[in-house]
Amino acid sequence: MSQVGSFALLLALALSAYSFLAGLLALARPGPGSERLGETARRAGIAVFGIVFLAAVVLVVAAFQDDFSIAYIFHHSNRDLPIAYKFAVLWSGQEGSLLFWSLLLATYGLVLRLRHKTDARLFAYASVIIAAVQVFFLLLLNFAAHPFAVMTGELPPDGNGLNPLLQYPEMVIHPPMLYLGYVGFTIPFAFALGALIMRYPGEKWINITRRWTMVTWGFLTCGVFLGMHWAYSVLGWGGYWGWDPVESASFMPWLTGTAFLHSVMMQEKRGMLKVWNMWLIFITFGLCIFGTFLTRSGVVSSVHAFAQSSIGNWFVGFLALIFATCAFFYVKNRTHLRSEHRLESIVSRESSFLFNNLLFVMFCFTVLWGTLFPILSEWVQGTKVTVGPPFFNKVAIPVALLLLLLTAVGPLLAWRKTSTESIKRNFMWPAIGAVLVGVLMMIFGVRPWADVSYFYALMAAMLAVLVALTVVSEFVRGARVISGHTHQNLLASMVHLGHRNTRRYGGYIVHFGVAVVIIGFLGSAFNLDQEKEMGYGDKMQIGPYTLVCRSYTQEDKPNYGSEWAIIDVFRNGKQIDTMYPERRFYKASQQTQTMPQIHPTVKEDFLLVKDLYLVYEGLNQDTGRPIIKAHLNPMVPWIWAGWMLMVFGTIIALVPNAVPVRLTAPARVQAAPVGAD
Amino acid sequence: MSVAVLACILITLGTLVYVFYLPGKLYLGPEKTRLSYLRERKEAVYENLRDLNFEYKAGKVPDADYLSLKASLEEEAAAVLAEIARLEEAASSAASVIRDSKGARV
Amino acid sequence: MRVRQGTLRRATQLTLLCCALFTFLGAGDEGARFNDLGHRMMCVCGCSQILLECNHVGCKYSDNMRGELMAALDRGDSDDLALQAFVQKYGTTVIAAPTTTGFNRVAWIMPYLALVLGLTTMVLIVRTWRNRPLVPRADAVAPVSGAELEHFREEARKDTET
Repeated sequence: MSQVGSFALLLALALSAYSFLAGLLALARPGPGSERLGETARRAGIAVFGIVFLAAVVLVVAAFQDDFSIAYIFHHSNRDLPIAYKFAVLWSGQEGSLLFWSLLLATYGLVLRLRHKTDARLFAYASVIIAAVQVFFLLLLNFAAHPFAVMTGELPPDGNGLNPLLQYPEMVIHPPMLYLGYVGFTIPFAFALGALIMRYPGEKWINITRRWTMVTWGFLTCGVFLGMHWAYSVLGWGGYWGWDPVESASFMPWLTGTAFLHSVMMQEKRGMLKVWNMWLIFITFGLCIFGTFLTRSGVVSSVHAFAQSSIGNWFVGFLALIFATCAFFYVKNRTHLRSEHRLESIVSRESSFLFNNLLFVMFCFTVLWGTLFPILSEWVQGTKVTVGPPFFNKVAIPVALLLLLLTAVGPLLAWRKTSTESIKRNFMWPAIGAVLVGVLMMIFGVRPWADVSYFYALMAAMLAVLVALTVVSEFVRGARVISGHTHQNLLASMVHLGHRNTRRYGGYIVHFGVAVVIIGFLGSAFNLDQEKEMGYGDKMQIGPYTLVCRSYTQEDKPNYGSEWAIIDVFRNGKQIDTMYPERRFYKASQQTQTMPQIHPTVKEDFLLVKDLYLVYEGLNQDTGRPIIKAHLNPMVPWIWAGWMLMVFGTIIALVPNAVPVRLTAPARVQAAPVGAD
Repeated sequence: MSVAVLACILITLGTLVYVFYLPGKLYLGPEKTRLSYLRERKEAVYENLRDLNFEYKAGKVPDADYLSLKASLEEEAAAVLAEIARLEEAASSAASVIRDSKGARV
Repeated sequence: MRVRQGTLRRATQLTLLCCALFTFLGAGDEGARFNDLGHRMMCVCGCSQILLECNHVGCKYSDNMRGELMAALDRGDSDDLALQAFVQKYGTTVIAAPTTTGFNRVAWIMPYLALVLGLTTMVLIVRTWRNRPLVPRADAVAPVSGAELEHFREEARKDTET
């Protein structure tokens, strides 16, 4: 079995190398036969998908067959591992994840190569670039991190098992989502670099890559949020974001990718910012590779320590190569990226995009800086320092608040220039709403001068409300125009409106989602926690909730043994729930894991919902009684709701417009190609 | 062992046939011309104009801003349309010359 | 004399009251300080979590560290002294954020510096953009004028009216 897998990896490498070289030759030396050569390159690219897929299937089948002769399966699986997690074995270790990266890239490449008729020449360039990236990953798989390496000596009876942190339903989908995001940015990168190399006339390539970029961004967003949700519901420290280097690694390309999504609009609509966009997508792709490197290389310590190894040098080399290639073609073809328009006014949609981009990139730089500073410090002063949450919170929150302000202001500014009158007209109501919320919060006891976290919470709340209200006002204004024409009611008009320009209104829904997420974040300024040893009938009070320990017990299952407590939750003397915080001991890996229990108080608090979050910390060896830690985290469910809205908005933005943009007339003539020398 | 080798050989053969056996004509796609580029530009400018009209109707843009923005966008559109018209005219007259010469031969 | 005695008694009472008050204030204060200092340090077990937020089951470090922090505060150590003791014992990485001394200051300055530099550059670029005439591209569309302009402008207007 493992021979077939190993062979498949070699064959895939050969095919990708062929796809790259033949494609390159066909493009570089056009002439008789070059079209056929190009076609074989395209087909080789398609075949790579089949072969890499075969390798992945072999690995998963080996996991299902408990084939511990393959070292990877021995290290990441065991006989009693539930079926769903045996699938997850593919991406739970280093070699498997790299194979998974390669598979996803091959899948994206497959779709791209099958759709080559959209613009054969541009797609040929993109295909060659993708083949080059694929060659790198297959080289890694074949020569540095082989997933089919076999065990030597006597075969062990059972495997080491999957890391218990990963034995959680979301872990089955979090890495694939994140990887779909990381890998997906290869596609806009390939198109951008291709367009630069071939001096592609016009901005159509952006139009072609828009959906790819949005889908990728959507996956990355899902990946990041799933990671947060996983951290919240598995790691059991009561929070969702710890500025762990690997979390940051996924956040950085998200930031630059978001900047790119915004700034390409400038290029598409106005032919501006071409150089910037080019570099933005280069950097985003570089950060995706860098993120994979951070996760996989172990240069920085992290909770994702299950992923450490020594393939770092390969990644550093690859990153250098990417940068050199991009820089070379940029210098060579930079005149092609000249702007078509000037910036006419500082108060315009254009300049709001500029500021938005600057802030996103600065945010990304700050995160990168904080992530790499320990290495820098060790290098400069010889001592390693920790750059943890206190640093990031202090430095990143102000930038995030400014970004939030722009999220509110940007969409209300007109393209090219906006007069003060227009600002007044569009801003008045949302601003009044935001101030009102601020005043209400102060009346209800939020004292911004008492603590800086309250100040941030107040600002964030006001800005989030400002964003939400501007989005609502955009929908209402647009819907009024529609209903004036069609005489539909306002709600139907809004649906109609969204359908007319899915990208814009989908984008607004995403903005609204962001506002909701921010409201969820600011709840953390008001978190409470409490820890107590609880015997039978013992009580603990947290906020308005009384927790009573009804019982505690132990149980043995094939994959793990567990201890848990049964806690009744009372509010105002009335029982509202029973919760079962648990701790598990996984037998194969000999590791313990807490399973926190979360009760969102939707029924009791409605919009001011809190999460009652219970953790079974362990047994006190002296008394034999469990120690329970309770957290009361206000507003956390808003984060997940906002995330859903963001995903919904992204999906809307992907739907084609209802009133199709008038198609160009069929080509009646063949004039000389643009830019033909 | 031999089954694995056989499988590997079959896979390789299948792949080679798929990659290198190219019967029939290849799809090369249309060459991108100045005209198709201009039509893309026209659509982009038209989109901007439609957007501006809609925002004006929604009451987001004051009259003065609207008029000046609209004028400059229309100028941009007119330039593109004019060049499209010129190219189409040139091409159609070239086509008619070809037709005439064919007719003369018959 | 009686006056003096009264004053003395009152002074003693006042002192006692003050002591009591400060003790109680101190107690409340100590909780806040514990919380503050505990959030300024990391657990050193490798979990990458803030000391007070580490809940790894059977974590050999965080419980001890919390105990040590409590003891330091009970001893009446100042914040700096308490943190210093931890650095001595567990190394510099125990502090959750770079200090504001020496090279570590760079960590704090850099993001703000980058933001200021970025903003300045952007403003400068925007200004030069606005003032500098646009370099025409090789493939630019030539503007039209006169009757031709009016004709095509009318066409564009008709096409885009919704």
